[in-house]
Amino acid sequence: MLLAMSIGVAAVVVLTSLGESARRFVSDEFASLGTHLLMIAPGRTETSGGGPSMFAGDTPRDLTIRDAEAIGRSRLIDEVAPMVMAQAKVSWGGKERETPVLGGTASMRRIRGWTLAQGRFLPDGDPERDSGVCVIGSKIRRELFGPRQALGEWLKVGDRRCRVTGILAEEGRSIGMDVEELVVIPVAAALALMNRPGLTRIMATARSHEMMDRASEEILAIVKERHQGEEDVTIVTQDALLATFDRILAALTYTVGGIAGISLVVAGILIMNVMLVSVSQRTAEIGLLKALGAPRAQILRLFLVEATSLSVAGALLGLVLGVLSRVTILYFYPALPLTWPIWAIVAALATALAVGLGFGVIPARRAAELDPVAALSHH
Amino acid sequence: MIELRQISRDFEVGDQTVHALRAVDLEIRAGEYLSLMGPSGSGKSTLMHILGLLDRPTSGTYELDGKDVTALDDAAQAAVRRNEIGFVFQFFHLVPYLTAAENAELPLVLSGVDPAERRERVSAGLASLGLSERADHRPDQLSGGQRQRVAIARAMVSAPSVLLADEPTGNLDRSSGSEVIRLIEDLHEQRGLTLVIVTHDQEMGRRATRQISMVDGEVEEDRDGARP
Ligand SMILES: Nc1ncnc2c1ncn2[C@@H]1O[C@H](COP(=O)(O)OP(=O)(O)OP(=O)(O)O)[C@@H](O)[C@H]1O
Ligand SMILES: [Mg+2]
Repeated sequence: MLLAMSIGVAAVVVLTSLGESARRFVSDEFASLGTHLLMIAPGRTETSGGGPSMFAGDTPRDLTIRDAEAIGRSRLIDEVAPMVMAQAKVSWGGKERETPVLGGTASMRRIRGWTLAQGRFLPDGDPERDSGVCVIGSKIRRELFGPRQALGEWLKVGDRRCRVTGILAEEGRSIGMDVEELVVIPVAAALALMNRPGLTRIMATARSHEMMDRASEEILAIVKERHQGEEDVTIVTQDALLATFDRILAALTYTVGGIAGISLVVAGILIMNVMLVSVSQRTAEIGLLKALGAPRAQILRLFLVEATSLSVAGALLGLVLGVLSRVTILYFYPALPLTWPIWAIVAALATALAVGLGFGVIPARRAAELDPVAALSHH
Repeated sequence: MIELRQISRDFEVGDQTVHALRAVDLEIRAGEYLSLMGPSGSGKSTLMHILGLLDRPTSGTYELDGKDVTALDDAAQAAVRRNEIGFVFQFFHLVPYLTAAENAELPLVLSGVDPAERRERVSAGLASLGLSERADHRPDQLSGGQRQRVAIARAMVSAPSVLLADEPTGNLDRSSGSEVIRLIEDLHEQRGLTLVIVTHDQEMGRRATRQISMVDGEVEEDRDGARP
């Protein structure tokens, strides 16, 4: 019973802590992208929120490099980066590897905040032109070149060749992309490689956070004008994306917490049973106390305090268990930013208290209502 | 001063009604020594429970020192039980895992008396019943007579004005029984305690100044030695 209570409390604390941590992790991750970001995808979604749907409506017009340039000319927009994403075979010196290839421009690096371990990123210049260079992630460099110098070498990407001018620093994660495995080539080269007319995305940053809404309206207007009056793109802002993730993860946290809460209720029922047994075992003593002059309220209090102490003892044990499991989790997954939401701890303790009180009422009432004469003759 | 007027107590057993007490009128003066006798089932214990506020009458009024205690609520009745009435049972009813001193202390704990005073009153009480040596013994380490003396100490720690004893010697052999009776009588004499003892023992009953015999829920005879 004590165990059930402590497991319940530990579960609430650990699970909500995990959920909360996931939420933090995602927000931090998004924050690292900058909060001025707008993502423009071809196709229109009717439903709000979420990403662009591949199934929505008639086939949209392609987003082109020229569209991106037009957006970039807006006074509200700071940087714009046309993007193509694909998988391709990359090879050098007989070694070959299938890896994500990103078609981009020099502004890509500034928007993403990437830094280079060696060399330079893609050069500024006309994005329609293939400058014949590429930048690779550190893992690709390791796997293809080993200990040898990669800068200046000619890499084969699909059926095209490019000269390696830079190696991305290992700083790592970036939503949806593993920088270490990436090969970045000029967007024009990527379009030619994939034999595709349209971009996967255009990323743009507004000049300030306040301009986000106006910027996205203006982008729609620009696209509409260029696409013969069709607003056939979906703009997802950083905030909207973050809010969606946040909602999902919060819901998840509460659900998981709720499930753990059910175990608290089970613990409560167990406590009630223990207390009922204890009342019937101590019938004679309760009768004696009443005969000696204990009022009903005092007996009630006595048993409520006992039930509550039981459940709180369980809860404290549960907190200890929670701390232990947290330490264990951190030992195996040290990277996990596990937080302890104070509200989860408080809620778990409060629930335990409430459970003890709530489920203690019935047995305590039973004790308080005992008839002293009958209770005393009970053997 | 106890005044019972038209006290009845009915028990419903199945579809039958048992009249344990039938319209009992009884007046007990302060400091009186009264014995209650009568055949088994005549209603002695029922009357004692009502006197001790352990049970409520089906009808009738009970006045204790001029106030109608049948009308009081649970908390107020409990206070009367704590402060004015001591009860001694046939089966002692000590808490088995508490020592003699702790058992005797219970009413004071319930009254919220502070620990230092509790200790003092309990050790004085145990001493007056010749139990000082046994203060730390548990009930199962005591003889029947000693247990009943602990129960008397417990009944007396709150200095009540009335002591009710329902067959206090019923579970004791003759010698320890008469010792217990003598102790109770001492308390009666020294403190002017109102004493009501239920007994089946004629000889013991005759020691009381007033003897009441009950039959079938009614007072059949009331012999008052003090009032001819
Ligand atoms: N709780 C109860 N439920 C039903 N009947 C009861 C109850 N208590 C007492 N009685 C009945 O009331 C009557 C009086 O009982 P009581 O215990 O007062 O008798 P008594 O004089 O104390 O007897 P004894 O000498 O055996 O102790 C009896 O007929 C008994 O069966
Ligand atoms: Mg009896």
